[in-house]
Amino acid sequence: MSELGIAVRRGRTRRRPRLSWAFAFVLPLLMVAMELAVFSVEPRVLSQRNLINILNQSSYVLVFAAAQMMVILTRGFDLSLGASVSAISVASALVMTGLASAGAPAWLIVVAGLAAGMGFGLLVGLFNGLLVAGLGINPFVVTLGSLNICLGLATTISGGRPVFNVPDPFSHLLYDGTFIPGIPVPLTLAAIISLLLYFVLGHTVFGRSLYLIGNNPRAAELAGLPSKRYLALAYVCCALLAAFGALMLTARTGSGEPNLGGSLMLESIAAAVIGGVSLMGGVGGILQALLGAMFVTMLSNAMDLLEVGGYVQQILLGCVIIGAIFLDRLRVTRS
Amino acid sequence: MSPTQLEDASRTGSPVRGDLLLELTGISKFFPGVVALDGVDFDLRHGEVHVLFGENGAGKSTLINIIAGTYPPDAGAFRYRGHALSRLTPHEARAIGISPVFQEFSLVPDLTVEQNLFLGRELTAGGLLNRAAMRAKAEAIIRDLGFDLDPNRKVRELSRAHQQMVEIAKAFLTEVRLLILDEPTASLTEAEAAKLFSLVAKLKAAGVGIIYVSHRMREITAIADRITVLRDGRKIRTVASGEVSETELVELMTGRKIDVLFPEIEFRPRETLLEVEHLTLADRSVNDVSFFARAGEITGIAGLVGCGKSEIIRAVFGLETIASGTIRVGGEVVAHPSPTALLRRGLCYFPSDRVAEGLALSRPVRENASMAALDLPAFSRARVLQRRSERRVIQSIVERLRLQPPQIERPVANFSGGNRQKVLLARGLTRDIKVFLFDEPTVGVDVGAKAEVYELMKALVSAGVAIVLVSSELPEVMHLSHRLYVMHRSRIVAELTGKDINEPEVLSYFFGERSPAAAAG
Amino acid sequence: MAGEVTGREASASAFDRAYRFYAAVGFLPIMLALFVIVLALFVPHFLALGNIFNVLRSSSYLVILAVGQMLVMIVGGFDLSVGAVVALTSVVSASVMAGLAGSLGGHPGIIIALGVGAGVGCGLAIGLLNGLCVAFLKVSPFMVTLGTASIATGFALLLTDGIPVYGMPKSFVNDFGRGLWLQLPTAVYVAVIIVMLLWVMQNFTRMGRYIYAIGGNLQAAIVSGVRAKTHLILAYALCAMLASVSGLALTAQIGSGQAVLNAQLTLESIAAAVIAGVSLKGGVGKVEMVALAAVFLLTLTDAMDLLKIDPRVQSIFLGVIVVLAVAVEELAKRRMTLV
Repeated sequence: MSELGIAVRRGRTRRRPRLSWAFAFVLPLLMVAMELAVFSVEPRVLSQRNLINILNQSSYVLVFAAAQMMVILTRGFDLSLGASVSAISVASALVMTGLASAGAPAWLIVVAGLAAGMGFGLLVGLFNGLLVAGLGINPFVVTLGSLNICLGLATTISGGRPVFNVPDPFSHLLYDGTFIPGIPVPLTLAAIISLLLYFVLGHTVFGRSLYLIGNNPRAAELAGLPSKRYLALAYVCCALLAAFGALMLTARTGSGEPNLGGSLMLESIAAAVIGGVSLMGGVGGILQALLGAMFVTMLSNAMDLLEVGGYVQQILLGCVIIGAIFLDRLRVTRS
Repeated sequence: MSPTQLEDASRTGSPVRGDLLLELTGISKFFPGVVALDGVDFDLRHGEVHVLFGENGAGKSTLINIIAGTYPPDAGAFRYRGHALSRLTPHEARAIGISPVFQEFSLVPDLTVEQNLFLGRELTAGGLLNRAAMRAKAEAIIRDLGFDLDPNRKVRELSRAHQQMVEIAKAFLTEVRLLILDEPTASLTEAEAAKLFSLVAKLKAAGVGIIYVSHRMREITAIADRITVLRDGRKIRTVASGEVSETELVELMTGRKIDVLFPEIEFRPRETLLEVEHLTLADRSVNDVSFFARAGEITGIAGLVGCGKSEIIRAVFGLETIASGTIRVGGEVVAHPSPTALLRRGLCYFPSDRVAEGLALSRPVRENASMAALDLPAFSRARVLQRRSERRVIQSIVERLRLQPPQIERPVANFSGGNRQKVLLARGLTRDIKVFLFDEPTVGVDVGAKAEVYELMKALVSAGVAIVLVSSELPEVMHLSHRLYVMHRSRIVAELTGKDINEPEVLSYFFGERSPAAAAG
Repeated sequence: MAGEVTGREASASAFDRAYRFYAAVGFLPIMLALFVIVLALFVPHFLALGNIFNVLRSSSYLVILAVGQMLVMIVGGFDLSVGAVVALTSVVSASVMAGLAGSLGGHPGIIIALGVGAGVGCGLAIGLLNGLCVAFLKVSPFMVTLGTASIATGFALLLTDGIPVYGMPKSFVNDFGRGLWLQLPTAVYVAVIIVMLLWVMQNFTRMGRYIYAIGGNLQAAIVSGVRAKTHLILAYALCAMLASVSGLALTAQIGSGQAVLNAQLTLESIAAAVIAGVSLKGGVGKVEMVALAAVFLLTLTDAMDLLKIDPRVQSIFLGVIVVLAVAVEELAKRRMTLV
């Protein structure tokens, strides 16, 4: 059949001038508008303290949004993100507190904690990646499965209770220490991760392949790209990034929490999609993840300041998600 | 008048004026980046077989979709049985007697033949499906058509030919006044096609108007009353059958003199670059096939749709599961063919379905063209992309291929079919490719670009490349091949050279009328 | 072409024959039968009548939930909001019934009717929202239902602050939730009726067939004149309403309205559908198999409970089973194209 095929479309006219440029500005404008609107009611929102707060908070969201971005680019998603974070938090905290009470030196504790966390993340990533890429199973089912497995593990090994007293050296490293004087550690870490991902996505064969796989997996295969390997690697990267985020969060709370993941899965996908990483695959980058992370953070920050209840925030998050995917759809059909 | 009013009018038998069954004037249709139809006039008389003739991409499928109500035209007038129609839906079209038989798209694989036949038009009794009645009617229709179909089998399990039969049977569920046949014989045997033609004759006699879409001369001369030639979305001419010679028709279709369209290629075959021996695929679409391709030569493979010719070269490239056989590239056996392995050995496959398998549409030309060569030093070092170098290389290739416009950062989606094909072909020039496997290379490509593709093939061949050309377009594969294999039902039945490459000879092998001579191997 | 059965001599290896038998009868009934036998042998008290009734009653909610999910999966989507709909329905119906207890105290029948109506109304609302977004906005069902799940959960928590809602009419809990009728729990009857109705729909109505067509080949369905949008919306609406009914059954059993969302509910419904052979791509799925799969899952849970396996660990098992089921389906599909 000719390339046009029998497209069941109605009323299509000749190409309109591309509106995609307009969409790029919608989000930043929306963010500015939102802040100004809130400012009129609650001036604290633009105070220095709050702005730093927002930056700090977005660092965490960015790490998770970037993690999801890696797999959303390939037209997949990782439902296990929140659950894995909980499990990693608990696992690493246990390892560290265990070593601490055994009297191990500080450096060993920290290294072991990091290794345990990242190692766990690697396992989850391999599980997801091998099943999705190797066996071709729908990522939805695979990550739904790993979500449950991680949840089960998190509650089982923690006994349902937080693991307190995560050693200070760990917290210093990832939370309240000083890499660069004056800049909070989470921010530095997020910046490093952003730069790293920018390089990987834009300047490596792996990064380029992710976009091609997401855009047309068959074409990528036909062109001889090792698409299965790279697809699996995308899931591994996602899980590793999530693991790192989990460690950062654990450092902040000072304890291993079996509920740390909470609504992270939803928030990370929402942030990525709102920022412009398209669910159709092959579109978006670290900048989009960053924008989305900031938007989501600003929104919840504003709602907190306006003393909007947690439950209402959840409802709003749902509406925002639906709005975001609608916007995503518009973006795709217009350009 | 709305389609429902027309339906009511036909049911009550009120006279409908005009001797034209269908009259389309000034029909235009646009899709993003493409003008599919540009001011086309078309009319159909009662009891007439009117052939819509043109190449792939000429606008034939767009026109018949408009007639069938799949989508409305963007401009123009549509009169059916004397009444102007607007906003026709597929359902309404069928109700007023317009029965399209498409090549594909209208069957649900996991439903049975019977369920597919009645889809959208189920018979009910008291709100529930009347399965007995539907079974009976399905069997009756199948019997009348003389097809060999089991109403209980899932469509997914049927061969392509049988699926085509189901598609045809669907058209006869309701009273037919205007039948549209879109390349109906693409995968039918000679005998099945003959049955179809006698059916067409019966309908003609009953006053049914038939639009027959094809680009096969043999069928057209046999059954057409009038022929309308479309090219690049425009109507070129409408002629009565016999008014114009076959050669003239082809020239109208392509817009060029035949000898100008296909370049003269001087073949100087050298070493054998690709050898395939006793290849059999796991799904038996290819059985015990052996062939070879030499440098400086175009090796053609022709045959009906579904004969297995595409599957052979796909298997060579590692895209199909091989049950047994050997593949040798440059003398060395390739044990586990895969795209990566073969690209590295200098072999490249260019898929027939560009959109589904070849191109990442929303990515720029640069990325699409370099996709197959990212492991080469010009494009990456230690897995880090060398973007400046990539830009330089792709830009020069694109200019050599005369891509219109030569902008490598533009997304491929914004280019026409012919230009998209050039982007795909650019891949072959990014690496040291010695064997080009072309699978229907000019489907959906406009005539201008076609000529350029042929020129490229000529240039490649003189540079010592081996080309394997798989094509369903008989003129193309006949004029370009130095050696031509013909396949029939998964086997090679002939290997022709020189003067033996002519239409009657080739066609006789197409339908399996001749047993494999001292054929391949 | 691929898929055509040519006249090859069927390679009658024992494995192929066994495989063909198993493919014809279906993976699930065999698994279930094997499973029951194994459990009967090794798990104490498994075959006690009380236990069997227990399993049947507890699986009723999942049967209802899973067949709803099946509908949406057949049209090629997912409904991740079913768990949230259950929670919202539970809370809303309980609140309505408790709220009316004062004014309509003497008419428990009316109270229950209104409560049930309110509950199912919630399901309808969410289902319509899902369906409209998917059909008209043409957005990914996965994301939409994630969004509506968030919204529904938020509302449920908002209404109750996480505290269970008491005060439903006794007859609701005792007769419907925990009562027996002809020796079988009433919830079982509800489930059976629903399964039968859906069976009729799938095999004997146009709507049933159209749902298969839309999931199997959307373009073909549209070109054949099927009103795709309408049926899409119907599928999502039905799914959510069935989730409501499931929620009502659960609420009646538990005895109070609970907003504590069991995220596992959604997974369980999908697990049951997937194990039953409902294809993730759409177009395939039979209600009787889904019901069987739901019973199978609950039998598994029951066995694990009897073996004193920690519920948290059970969660892990569930995840593994889902993945296994789909992996087996994938591998079986691949093997089929070679046969």
